[in-house]
Amino acid sequence: MTEPDRRAQRAAKRRLRKRHAAERRFRAYGAIAVTTGILALVLLLGSTVATAIPGFTHHVVELPFHFDEMRIDPSGNRDPGEIGRADYARVVKEALRSVFPDVRGRRDQRALRSLVSSGAAFDLRDRVLADPSLLGTTTVLAVPLADDADLMLKGAIDRTVPESDRRVSDQQIAWIDRWVAEGRIDRVFWTRFFTSGDSREPELAGIRGALVGTFWTLLVTLALSFPAGVAAAVYLEEFAPRGRFTSFVEVNINNLAAVPSIVFGLLGLAVFLGFFGMPRSSPLVGGLVLALMTLPTVIIASRSAIRAVPPSIREAAMGIGSSPLQVVMHHVLPLAMPGILTGTIIGMARALGETAPLLLIGMVAFIVDVPGGPTDAATALPVQIFLWADSPERAWVYKTSAAILVLLVFLVAMNLTAVLLRNRFERRW
Amino acid sequence: MQYLTKITARDLNVYYGGKQALFDVNLDIHGHQITSLIGPSGCGKSTFLRCINRMNDVVPTCRVEGKVTLDGDDIYRSDIDVVQLRARIGMVFQKPNPFPKSIYDNVAYGPRIHGLAADATGLDEIVVTSLARAGLFDEVKDRLDDPGTGLSGGQQQRLCIARAIAVQPEVILMDEPCSALDPIATARIEGLMGELTENYTLVIVTHSMQQAARVSARTAFFHLGVVVEEGETAKIFTDPAEDRTRDYITGRFG
Repeated sequence: MTEPDRRAQRAAKRRLRKRHAAERRFRAYGAIAVTTGILALVLLLGSTVATAIPGFTHHVVELPFHFDEMRIDPSGNRDPGEIGRADYARVVKEALRSVFPDVRGRRDQRALRSLVSSGAAFDLRDRVLADPSLLGTTTVLAVPLADDADLMLKGAIDRTVPESDRRVSDQQIAWIDRWVAEGRIDRVFWTRFFTSGDSREPELAGIRGALVGTFWTLLVTLALSFPAGVAAAVYLEEFAPRGRFTSFVEVNINNLAAVPSIVFGLLGLAVFLGFFGMPRSSPLVGGLVLALMTLPTVIIASRSAIRAVPPSIREAAMGIGSSPLQVVMHHVLPLAMPGILTGTIIGMARALGETAPLLLIGMVAFIVDVPGGPTDAATALPVQIFLWADSPERAWVYKTSAAILVLLVFLVAMNLTAVLLRNRFERRW
Repeated sequence: MQYLTKITARDLNVYYGGKQALFDVNLDIHGHQITSLIGPSGCGKSTFLRCINRMNDVVPTCRVEGKVTLDGDDIYRSDIDVVQLRARIGMVFQKPNPFPKSIYDNVAYGPRIHGLAADATGLDEIVVTSLARAGLFDEVKDRLDDPGTGLSGGQQQRLCIARAIAVQPEVILMDEPCSALDPIATARIEGLMGELTENYTLVIVTHSMQQAARVSARTAFFHLGVVVEEGETAKIFTDPAEDRTRDYITGRFG
């Protein structure tokens, strides 16, 4: 081999090495980008999940409760009204006194009572109403602890901090420790989080009201945005004459999809509440506002899906004498439906997580009752999270994170459904 | 034997936007016969075919001037129901396009929307007859609920023919029906075409002169949007009157 040949060969080898190095670097950049994204997600989710898990459990204390028949049901009729009106707070007080007979003095007794949740009395009442055979007996039942005691047992309250800076006093800590030693304390899965509405007390607060409110709101949103969106998409794709007006409508729909959601809230406030006088803070108005917000998404996704139906199907249908409406209803829409549904579910998932427009139409109130219909005052899950996040008390942190987790689970479920639908119906012809 | 004129075109001019595709076309199609339209690509034969069942209406830039009559009635009159017209004049396309439904539903769809069957039994009868006439029934009779798209290319095209037949048309238009099929399937469909003339009038567009020579009774040669020559197939292919026709047939161009 001559010298110039050897030089050329070396130069070729160098070029090859450089190219391989560049390709390796490029792949590394991609891997780093993906890893960074996943890490950020894991960090975010991880911190949320870590604070959410304690929110799903609660500590209960087992105490012997004496249901004095003379006090609760003096007439002996087992009348639910009468049983319901009895003084159960006293039953709790007596139970505590029976466990700690040495606690004297108003202040100390009040400190002891504050360890148990104020909802304990209502719990006892519900149990007696459900099972009147408890009357006249002394039964050991589990009742929830108050939020401070629960926090302490979860390790959120630092014992080493001076007493005046703590929410639980040394005395209260001593009582709780004694209960733990006696085996009276149990940690249970807190189903109340899902079965009760909002409350001033963190341990009694639940997301049921918010879930039902979200359900009604999304129902109204779906009922309004789906038919209107699909019909608009069908008209724009199949029947509208191509021209300046259609292009104008198209541009505006695309712009509407990018408008910040809070603007829709302002619209709802001004038009639906102000002009039409609809009930404030109702899922009806919330659904209307969210429907307007979701409509452009549904229209764009539906148009895309309709356009994807091959023209050969339309020609075949027309060739045997189908009317334009039959072509759309019998052939185009069934084939476009998976794409339409995917777009709708994604739009609904976005609506599920919207807070700003709902805040503006008044869903900021403290709603305790579970709404019965779309015109009752209600709150929605994202709004509930916002309201709880406002509270500085430590116990609310766990509840807020737990509610966020529930919301995330719903969002993931909806998006997963959309992806599965899309994959399943990808090519059916 | 004298065949009655089924379809006529008089002074037909078709424009796509500013471009003219057909120039003063005058043509007669006779009943219970196969008429084939031949010519090089872009000569306007598909355009003419689609004028017959007004499929050009869906092309927004298309403008049709002139008269096309079916049994003496001008089909471009303003009060004509295009949907009914397309039930009387069926169409089979170049690429087989069965609906994404079962074989039964593919054929039954047309009769259902036109109300041609009184009950389920009547519908079954129509489906079976159509599939039999299209030469497909024996092959699919035990799998009528299978999807139509699962058939082979030739079977799919025969399914499309059955679908067209099911609405009981008078005319069947075929736009290069065999160009996407293999020679065996092509031969089957060509045999089918001959049988179909018993009940229907056929107009086919074909790129293959051999096919035109094999199946059709009359042929029209299109070139650059004009009907250059038209007449009995035998005469066109053995002794054409026009030079352009002779050049095309002998393969000088196209």
